[in-house]
Amino acid sequence: MESQQPPIAPSAPPPRRPLEEGYLEMPTEHDSQPRLIASYSEEAKTWFFPQRLRCPITEGEVTPRPLSPVGELYAWTYVHFASMGRVKYADQSGYGVAQVDFPEGPRVQGVLLGDRSKWKIGSKMRVMLNPVMKDEDGADLCSFAFEPVDGGVQ
Amino acid sequence: MTQFQREVYVVGVGMHPFRNDNTPMRKLAFVSAREALADAGLKYRDVGAVYTGYLTGMVMDGVTYSKDLGLTGAPITHVENASATGSSAFREAVLNVAGGHSEVAMAWGFDDLNNLQGVGSSRPGMEGVILPAAFFALWGNRRMHERGTKVETFAKIAAKNWNMARYNPMAQRRADHEMTVEEILASRVIAEPFTAKMAAATGGGGACAIIATKEIATRIAREQGRPLIKVAASAQESERYTEGHIFMGAVVGPPEMTRTTVKQAYEQAGFGPEDVSLAHCHDAFPIEELLYTELLGFCAEGEADRLVWDGDTDLGGRIPFSTDGGLIGRGHPGGPTGLAQIHEITLQLRHEAQKERQVENARIGLAHMMGGGAVCVIHLLQRV
Repeated sequence: MESQQPPIAPSAPPPRRPLEEGYLEMPTEHDSQPRLIASYSEEAKTWFFPQRLRCPITEGEVTPRPLSPVGELYAWTYVHFASMGRVKYADQSGYGVAQVDFPEGPRVQGVLLGDRSKWKIGSKMRVMLNPVMKDEDGADLCSFAFEPVDGGVQ
Repeated sequence: MTQFQREVYVVGVGMHPFRNDNTPMRKLAFVSAREALADAGLKYRDVGAVYTGYLTGMVMDGVTYSKDLGLTGAPITHVENASATGSSAFREAVLNVAGGHSEVAMAWGFDDLNNLQGVGSSRPGMEGVILPAAFFALWGNRRMHERGTKVETFAKIAAKNWNMARYNPMAQRRADHEMTVEEILASRVIAEPFTAKMAAATGGGGACAIIATKEIATRIAREQGRPLIKVAASAQESERYTEGHIFMGAVVGPPEMTRTTVKQAYEQAGFGPEDVSLAHCHDAFPIEELLYTELLGFCAEGEADRLVWDGDTDLGGRIPFSTDGGLIGRGHPGGPTGLAQIHEITLQLRHEAQKERQVENARIGLAHMMGGGAVCVIHLLQRV
């Protein structure tokens, strides 16, 4: 005899939270684009990512500021391991890694996703959320990744 | 810049072969130290200061293992600088003798990277879970983009280092046949464009060097009928801010650091790259040996590919690199790696290396190591 299943109501996607504080500005209803949080040194007129406690050039104060959402691909590779730490990529042979130059100056390393044919040095890459695990409330804990502006994951 | 108050010499070197066979750390340590002491004809009681280098293992392992050598009261200090651990331990021992604190000092590295809690088990984080090979691969790809370097060039460097290791009884990778560019390229790709046979061999090992004053070194050299091996320069730097500076995933580091560190070393020694007979570098992947050939001053920027294909970095060439196999062939167990370079250069300068890998008339050797992309250590040894 078939069991009577209650009708499944369409559920909202799980909430997303940063894996660690201080790296990511999460999307808001006004800005759907996540941004990396850098440190800006007024004295050195230089940006640093990830955030610094002091300016490494002048030893002066730094203030947190979001970087532009889009940078330029400096270098990339594809790692042929189906895991990154405890994060398993069961449906993939590995993962891409990029160095992306942001207009403010920092060069940032991170996972590279999206259409591989669009991974070209010099092409535009946007910051995206990369869910890597869930917390005890079922929320997606997110790191960041990059994807081609033209040829992203969505 | 480092200035020695008095001259210092390498009087003994010893190793436990680098292997990936779970040899206990205690044995790796003991064998390498006893070999170095025997090479110098000294007793452990003659050693005035000990600097141990290891990344894995337990707190106080260095002091614990020293009890197998003797209980002499000598100060023992643990040094750790990632891949450059052994190089930094050597530098501390050199500075100890050069500064007049002891007549004989020991730099002693032992390790087994199998004990390292690697990235495979790490909790996801915003930093530090990407396989280190990726960072070298990014560097390699950028080089290919900027200079037109071919993947075959990386394979040729790796094949050379595998083939050097064939004639080194201390090496971890001892192929039973001549390695070719084709065989290196045919192995499994780990991070494009690098294959498994281009990667450093990680495992366990031990390496030790004994440093002494000129007076003691002269006596030992006379007794053993050997040339004096002088430490002509010791230089170490950490990062300076550079354009495009990467703070995350410290593995590669700013290339400029090698250029400024070696400048210091050459100034200290009073000679330049044209005088160096052989070189060792942090060749965890062949992109490093390619780039360091340029950054250490052996050719102009962008010319290293030509040196590789002309055989200039091979035995018989202008500046042979990684004559013991380097990190790729001899292996990279962590703590002892930099001291294995000192071991090899000392043998080369004494003209005591196996004839198949002996650099003819070797007079000056350069040892370069990077630690976590954040420190650079360079030593110049000179046969006098």
